[in-house]
Order: sequence, then C-alpha cells, then structure tokens
Amino acid sequence: MTRVVVVGHGMVGSRLAEDLVAADPAAEVTVLGREPVPAYNRVLLSGVVAGTTAPDLLALAGPPHPRLRVLTGVAATDVDRAGRLVTDDRGGHHPYDRLVLATGSAARVPAIQGVADDRGLVPGVFVLKDLADATGIVAAAAGARRAVVLGAGVLGVEVATGLAARGLAVRVVHLGERLMDRQLGWEASQVAVASLRRLGIAAHTGASVAGVVTHRGRLSAVRFSDGLEAAADLFVMCTGTVPETVLARRAGLACDRGVLVGEDLATDDPHVFAVGDCAQPPAGATGLVAQGWEQARHLVAMLSARDSVAGMPTHDVVRVKASGLSVVSMGVSGDFDREDPRYRVLSLKDPERGRFVEVVVAGSRLAGATCLGDAEVGATLSALYTRATTVPDDPAMLMVRALAGGGAAPAREPADLADADRVCTCNSVSAGAVRAAVRSGCASAAEVSAATRASTGCGDCRSVVEALVATTAIPADPTADHEEPPVPDLVRSES
Amino acid sequence: MTAPHDRREVGPPAGGPTATHCPYCALQCAQTLTPRASGPLPVEVTARDFPTNRGGMCQKGWSAAEVLAAPDRLTTPLVRRDGVLGPATWEEALDLVHARLAAVQAEHGHDAVAVFGGGGLTNEKAYTLGKFARVVLRTPYIDYNGRFCMSSAAAAANRTLGVDRGLAFPLADLGGAGAVLLVGSNPAETMPPLVQHLAGARSRGGLLVVDPRRSATAGLTADGAGLHLAPVPGTDLVVLLALLHVLVDEGLTDTAYLAERASGWDEVRASVSRWWPERAEQVCGVPAPALRRTARLLAAAAPAHGGPGAYVLTGRGMEQSTQGTDTVSAAIALAVALGLPGRPGSGYGPLTGQGNGQGGREHGLKSDQLPGYRLVADPDARRHVAAVWGVDPADLPGPGVPAVELLRRLGTEGGPRALLVHGANLAVSAPHVGAVRAALGRLDLLVVSDVVPSETARLADVVLPVAQWAEEEGTMTTLEGRVVRRRRAVPPPGDARDELWVLRELARRFGHDLGDDPRAVFDELARASTGGKADYSGMSYDRLDAGEALYWPCPADRPEGTPRLFADGFATPDGRARLVAVDHRGPSDDVTPERPVHLVTGRVLHHYQSGAQTRRVAELVDAAPEPLAELSPLLAADLGVADGDRVRITSRRGALEVRARVTDTVRPDTVFLPFHWADAHSANLLTTDATDPVSGMPEFKVCAVSLARAALPAVPVPHEVPA
Repeated sequence: MTRVVVVGHGMVGSRLAEDLVAADPAAEVTVLGREPVPAYNRVLLSGVVAGTTAPDLLALAGPPHPRLRVLTGVAATDVDRAGRLVTDDRGGHHPYDRLVLATGSAARVPAIQGVADDRGLVPGVFVLKDLADATGIVAAAAGARRAVVLGAGVLGVEVATGLAARGLAVRVVHLGERLMDRQLGWEASQVAVASLRRLGIAAHTGASVAGVVTHRGRLSAVRFSDGLEAAADLFVMCTGTVPETVLARRAGLACDRGVLVGEDLATDDPHVFAVGDCAQPPAGATGLVAQGWEQARHLVAMLSARDSVAGMPTHDVVRVKASGLSVVSMGVSGDFDREDPRYRVLSLKDPERGRFVEVVVAGSRLAGATCLGDAEVGATLSALYTRATTVPDDPAMLMVRALAGGGAAPAREPADLADADRVCTCNSVSAGAVRAAVRSGCASAAEVSAATRASTGCGDCRSVVEALVATTAIPADPTADHEEPPVPDLVRSES
Repeated sequence: MTAPHDRREVGPPAGGPTATHCPYCALQCAQTLTPRASGPLPVEVTARDFPTNRGGMCQKGWSAAEVLAAPDRLTTPLVRRDGVLGPATWEEALDLVHARLAAVQAEHGHDAVAVFGGGGLTNEKAYTLGKFARVVLRTPYIDYNGRFCMSSAAAAANRTLGVDRGLAFPLADLGGAGAVLLVGSNPAETMPPLVQHLAGARSRGGLLVVDPRRSATAGLTADGAGLHLAPVPGTDLVVLLALLHVLVDEGLTDTAYLAERASGWDEVRASVSRWWPERAEQVCGVPAPALRRTARLLAAAAPAHGGPGAYVLTGRGMEQSTQGTDTVSAAIALAVALGLPGRPGSGYGPLTGQGNGQGGREHGLKSDQLPGYRLVADPDARRHVAAVWGVDPADLPGPGVPAVELLRRLGTEGGPRALLVHGANLAVSAPHVGAVRAALGRLDLLVVSDVVPSETARLADVVLPVAQWAEEEGTMTTLEGRVVRRRRAVPPPGDARDELWVLRELARRFGHDLGDDPRAVFDELARASTGGKADYSGMSYDRLDAGEALYWPCPADRPEGTPRLFADGFATPDGRARLVAVDHRGPSDDVTPERPVHLVTGRVLHHYQSGAQTRRVAELVDAAPEPLAELSPLLAADLGVADGDRVRITSRRGALEVRARVTDTVRPDTVFLPFHWADAHSANLLTTDATDPVSGMPEFKVCAVSLARAALPAVPVPHEVPA
C-alpha cells in the first residue's frame, strides 16, 4: 500500500484523491479539508451570489471509497518531512509515503482603512473565496440597496452582474485603466464598460478605495481614493488571490509566490507534490481550475505509475459567467503589442450592440482571441483555440456568427422554386415533377403524391406540394399535355 | 388478455397481395407486395399504413423491388477454383465447405472457425446461425455487424436500466411530447417516415437536435420548431453532462422520481458539477446560453414540471465512439434526472438502425449472448438453452469476442482461420477497412452467403446464393421492440435458397439436425427465450398473422406483451435505475496540427449501410451516384476547392479521393463523408478501429484527417452499378 496524504479538499484536491484511488489499487488516500464541508464547486460561487446556483447543489465529492478517507473541518498544521508525518489541528497524525499539497489560495485583502477589525472583516464587507463568503453575501444582499465591488477582474465582474441581477445598484471600482485588464485590451474594455452600464452597473476605472465608513459597526459608505464617498450596504473585494503556502513554508519547502514545483509537480522534496492554486509550476500558474485538474490528472498518472503523461496542455480560456454579459478571452489578449510582427490582429467593434471581437493569428493558428457580446462566436473561437486547428485564410471569417454551423437556410416560397429544385428529399421529387403531375391532371396533393411519391416519406413537404398544386397553371386543354405522364422524377444532383 | 389487433397486419389470402415490411431499416415500414405478371420486376411495392410509418415510405422502400431483380443477383453457388469464382452445384459447394471447415477444426480446434452475422437477418435466421455456431461448430467466435450499430446503446441500457429493447415505448407515443432531444441521430434521412412522429414536439418548439452538422433533422428545428446544437465532433458527452449540470444548478430535476426510482444519483450529481456550461462550451463549442436553453426546454416539457412529456433519443452519432457507452449512460441519466423513463408520454430510447439489429442480438448473434437476451457466461442461461437444444451445457462454448477483436484475430496465430459471413459486407462496413481486407486475405477459408456479389462475397472462396426479404418467411423485431412478420411474395430466383436451408444442410453434414421451417424455428426460439429478458414465449406466427401487436417481453403467462416498459420499475435487481457517473475522455484519434479536421461519417437518404443493395437500384444511384465529402465554404476556400472538385482525405490509416460538396451545413473544422461506397471510395479506409472498452463499438464517427485538393483533374466516377 502507498499512503498518500492530500492537504486540501477543494476542486483539485478532491479530484486528485478520487481519481487516485480509482486508478491505483495500492493507494490509500487521506484528505484533510480545512472547510467544514466536503469539496464543492468554487467556480460557481459567483452563481450563488447571482442567485442562479443553489449553494447546496455545488457538491463535488464523489461516493465513499474504502481506500479514501476524507476529514472535513480538519486543518493540517505541520509537516515533519524527515518523519513523513502530517499533524492536524485536532492533534491527529497522518503518516505518508507521498504528500500532495492542494491548499489552494486565499482571497487577497487589500490594505484599506476600516475594512477589518480584530474580529475580521467588518459586517457588510466581504471577499468571495468560499461557500461561507457566498452565503454571507447573499444574506447581506437581501436587505441591501447599494453595493460596491472592488476589482473588475473576472470574479469582480461576475459578482457585480450577480448583485445587479438581485436588484442592487452596483458600482465597480477598478484600479487598472481597463476592466479585466489581464483579459481585455482598451477597446474591449470600453465595450465592457458600456455593457455593464446597460445592466445598471457603473464602472470606475483607474480608481481605488481608500477606506470604508462604518455606522454602529456596520458598513455605511465607501470612500474612494479621490475623496468622494458613496453610501453602500455591501462592499465586496475581488482583488485577486494569494497562494496558500503557510504550511509549505513552515515545512521548509521552497516557495516563491506559490510552492515551487517542477514539470513533474514535485517540490524540492521528492516525496512532496503541489497542485492547483498553491503551486507555482515553471510556466506559471493561470489561476484557472482547468490547469489544476490537468495537474491532478498528470499526478495521478505518475503516482499510479500507469503511464507517463507527456506534457500538460493547459488552456487559458477565460469565460465570464454573467447573465447579460458574454465575455470570452484566450491566449494572446489584453494588453499586448498589437504591432508585434508575429501576429496578425483583426478586430470588430460594435459598441452599439455591446459586441467586440478580436482574433490574433500566428501563422495558421489562433494565438489568442477576445470576444464580447456574442456567445456563439466566442464558443466557436474557444473550440478552435483549444484544439489548435487551422484558422481560415481570411481570419475575418471567424468573427461573425454564421460559422458556428450555419443558420437556417432561407426558405423559398413554393412559387419561386425552380423546376430542378428538390421538393421531396425522401423520394427525390423535384418541383418540376410536381408541376408536371398537376398539369397532367392531378388536382390535389394526395393525387400528386400517388403519382410522384412526393411527401410519402417524412411528409414534411406536403405543404409545399399543396402550394405547388394551388399555384401551378393548368393548361386550358388538359388533353393537350398528355404526352408527359407523371413519373417519379430522378434528379441528378442538388444543383 | 390479448394485445391490440392491427387488422392491416393480418396474414394475406393466398395468391393475393402480400403484407410485409421493408427490407431496410428498423422502422420496418409496412409494405404491400403485389406480384407482377410481366415486366422487369417481380413485385410492385406500395406503402401500407402502420403505426411506425403511417403510410409513409422513403425512396429506398419504394424502389426495393429492384434489388430482387438485380442484374448480378446470385442465383447459383460459386466456388473459387484457380483463383476464380465459378458456378458449382449446392452439393459441391456445401460438401466443400463442410470438408474444409472440418479439416480446419481437426487441425486447429473448434475455435479456428468464426461466424459473422448481420442485423438484417430475420429472428429465425439469427437464432439458427447462433445455434449453428455454438452447437454445430462449437466455436465461441460469433458476432455480428449490430456490434457496429447498437452495442453502446445496449451496454448502457443494460447496465443502467437492466434491459435493452431499443425504444421502451411505441414510437407513436412521441407525438404528444413537448420536447424531444435527439442526440446524434438523423432520422429525416435515415428513417424519414419517423419524422411524422416529431410533429407534436416541433409544433411546441421542442425539437432539440444535437449534431455537428445541420442535418436534415437539425434543419427541422428551424422557424421556432426547436434548437439545433452543433458540438465539435466527439463531444456529445460534454453536451449531455452540461445539460445535467444545468438541471442540477437550476433545481430542475425530478427529485421525487430520483429518490424513488434511481440509485447513483449523488455520484452523477457530483460528477456533473465539473461541467458548468461555460467550461463545457470550451470543449464542445456549444455556447453556454444554448446549453441552458436546451436544458430548460426539456425540463419544461417534463411531467415533473407539468409539461406534456419529454423524450431523450440517441443515435449512432454519439454511440459510435470510444466513449459511446458512457455517452449513452449520460443520456439515460439525463432522462432519469427529468423523471422520464416509465412515465406515460415520456422516456428514453435509442433509435435502432438495422432492420433486425434488435432481434439479432436478442437471439444469439452477439458474442456474449444466448437466445432470449441471456448471457453466455450465466450457468442458468446455459442450462436452459442447452436443454432446448438437446446438448450438454458444458459443450456450449463460452463468450467470444466483439466484432472488431474477432476481425483482428482472423488468420493470426491462434485466431480463427475460417469465417462464415451471413448478411454482412465487412469489406465495406467494418472500421479501418484496409486492415479488415488484409485479415480476410489471411483466412484459409471465407464463405459468404449473400444475395448479390458484395465486395466481401467477391473475396470469398465459396459464395452461397440466398433468399432475401420478399422471398422469405420470418419475423423482425422493430426499433420499438415489436415483432412483425416478414412474408414471402415470390420465390427466390434460380438456385438461391433460404439461409435456414443452407444452415440445415451444412449442419446435416456435421451430423446435426437443424430445422429450416421458419414457423417451427420461431416456436423453438420462443421456447429458448422463455424466462429470458427478451421473452417471446407467448408469441406465435398464428398470433402475429392474426394481426396482434406484440411487444416483448411477451411470456406465455402474460401473452398481451409489453408495449411500454418500466411503468412499475426497471429491470434491475432492486427495480431502480443504476445511474453511472461518467466523464469525457475525448476521441481516440483527435485532431492535431498535421490532421486538423474532424472526419464524421454517416448516411445519406438514398443509400443503406454498405450499399450492397441500394447501389444496385438505378433511381437511388441516380439520386446519389457517388460519395460527396461535405465541407464548409470556409474550409473549401482554404483548400482552394470548389463545389464538385475532388479532394484527397488522409487519416492515419488510409486515404481516398472523392468529390467535394461545399455546404454551410457542416462546421468549418469538420468534413462529412457517407460510408455507403466501396473500394477506393470506402469511408472506412479512413476510420479508426479503436473501440469502446465496454461495448466494443468502433469509433466510426470521429477521427482526424487532413484534406487537400486532389492533384489530378476530375475524372468520371464509375457508378459502381454492375452492367
């Protein structure tokens, strides 16, 4: 048996643990989860704030497994690397052959006057990192009218739109000059600001919050760095995260921003690994769960010695989950050198409709893209990007919707059908054959069907046949046309 | 109690028109065959009203009589001498087959002979062929081309619902539904009359089609009739997981039903938590809002929300995948989460493809199954069937291997050295067909029973001419689990004989006695199925000929049969649906920079399967003379290809050149190629033979290819119609 201890029962730790016991019959896994509840889907917390996701439906943890022990509400406090032993805050000891740190990250709390006292954040002030934060925000929003969200990254925008959907007047304050500055360039940001405005959200860029004002121990207003104050019942700080490295540092593992790991996800101790938000791999962390899950898959394959997995394809597609605002960005996006000779950059700007599309092409591949206000184009771009398939010679074709599989073909009026046009696909009957049948005496759709087999398959063309019967001119002397009996028509091609 | 009578199914008066069913797909459209005194065709075919086709019939059905009179119809046995197939008498041919099979088995053991059946064979022929393999040849090596058709749906239904009958309800039930979700199925082309049953859902805006192409069926969603989702090929599972996610997320599941009728829901719920629509969108290319809308439309139609009913139907598009079983499992989980199966006016079902794909596996063509949908490995099943067959259970061979594995082993060390093929055209229809042709070439003996010199028959050492459709008596089990009669209108031409006779004569040479009277075979089949899942013991030709509508299970003590399954529970030990949590793994041969385009294979309306029948019908060849590679204007522009130009398509396994059809109905990252053509035009030169780990289903539906404009100028394509 191999004893594996996983510290952290979040999205990545739980998946790693479950997949490992499934893949490796020799693995005995213990997971220590600091939070009082088993693993849940943290990515959807903004949905809880928006009221589109019920908090009790986030559960991620799979069924019990005889070789998987999950301890919730138990925090690891120390790692004795020489003795290969983890100690928890209940005094429990967990010996390991392999230790995996999946401690995640913590919300960054900026140094803002008044946001916290010795009991923590003051009532009305929140971060959004765990389920308790989300339910706290929801509870506070119930009696609130005005909210300020600090930080217009992906999470900040999701929280702002979520609170706006709950009927609050929302301001977003963002230190950067552009909204979602890691993802959006100037023009995209301008379109996003306008789109937020349409949702009733005021966005202030290049601004910050200097302090909060409390009244009877509760938030009453937010003071901006320019000195102005705005009344607020709710202040949510979405100013990024910091990798949770306390345990690793205490154990003497090499850390930078996060726990330093190699391509093999091992720390400088070959028995200790780190995955997810707490880890800092050579190529850097994206902060996206896709990377953490890919790392978990990779580590499971290595630990179970099933097969060696070559390279981890990590995709950095960022998709904002906000009702009324569609934003997707991937790869080269945000503030990059648009004059870079390696790139061909095309953009489409349609602020009136809240639409902005920018594609960055390198050779025949999509190097990056930003898409606002068109979910269908965004979906097509991300599918293209994640598979690295070939970009059309004219990348402008990627920027409009018709690509995603085409719209419905325009239906032609029966009278406009050419004789060669197929009416009945099931039986290959052309409009000409139907007209010929009418001219030779068929007076109803049923008679045309009997003579030509038209609409005897799926029956979908019956209305077209009826219209053709009604609109086909019958020669004055029906006997004059009898040299052309109705026969099942054989159309050679679609043309 | 008796089943409802369908007076149109009543057996015919002697000498008059014959009431039977179409030779092609599992819809089994009802036909009337009227013998013709003169003219090139022996019968005239007309459509007959019947619940599945409601009097409709596609061009294949209308023109079916042409196959009876195919100019190259096999009318005499053929034996290869000095490398050339030449006529022989039945005596010579059967003696030769017997002698060589016996010699191979004497030298290499029973396992040295394999049998490959087809989903177009009647129940009687399928049953007899399975018995022949296990009792006469005593080989475990039997499987059939239904493995290429329904195996993923069957595996998923068995593990989740405890039984696999195709549709668990009569097709006409669809009419009242508020929503019908079709995943990877294109009935508007593959079984056109079925579209009539979608009219209700369309009128309520609830036809929901998941298909990478805007197929004819997807086109029916236009004008507010529903929604079409066009996922990246090979990602249907992601679409389904995201739909489940939305149901959970928005509290749309039928919690009372789940609590009472399902197990494993917590695992499924936890697993779909990983597939929120915005994540799914990045993998499947379907916008998150469209996924949400689809889930809501389905839920609104579900009975739990006061809707008129909803159905989840699956097809080969999602089943012919290395994750086909899991994808169907997710589709079933979706239906169960909505509380559909077993509720009147709602349900889940796969749309069976081949005419008797259902009956074929129920009665013994599948490597691991005995008649009555019993398992070869089950000692009780062996005892029961052995008793009916009058043999020692210990003498029955164990489970064999699924089709692709069987084909791989042909002519290899320890593998089968002789193969009997009935009702299949492997040299066209099998995946990675180049390897299959090589495998057939390694055999010591290949015997093919067929009606025409199919591409496989042409490779054979012995070809046995057999009767077809309008020339034989038997039964077929339709896509809705109803058993219908196939009736003889004309005698087979020349020396062509019924396959039951062929098997009887071969068995006799081995010292065994097999019956060849279809009615008696059916009665024996019914006995063998007694107590099995697919219990036919209450059925008889007399009842079917009296027009009774009989759906299995139809045991002797419940002779009314079972039109609707699951009303009181599922066929599992505890009566609950056993939901299985699954995850997306992706195609085995995914796109790369070298092969950047997804190849999707499928059918066109005017042809059927390997085309052995339909490529011999002039009006069908006229309608669709050659395979056309469908590609988007965008891809075409990049390749410098115009409509009608020839393109070269290359996969890891092979290459071919076909003409291009430029159309906006296909995604720009995808090329579609129909699989009905042979030789250098066989789509299966390109497809992969990677299989689903549970069902053995090959991944026909997606692989990676590169495309280029063909170097040579366009040349006329032979129509492949024998002169």
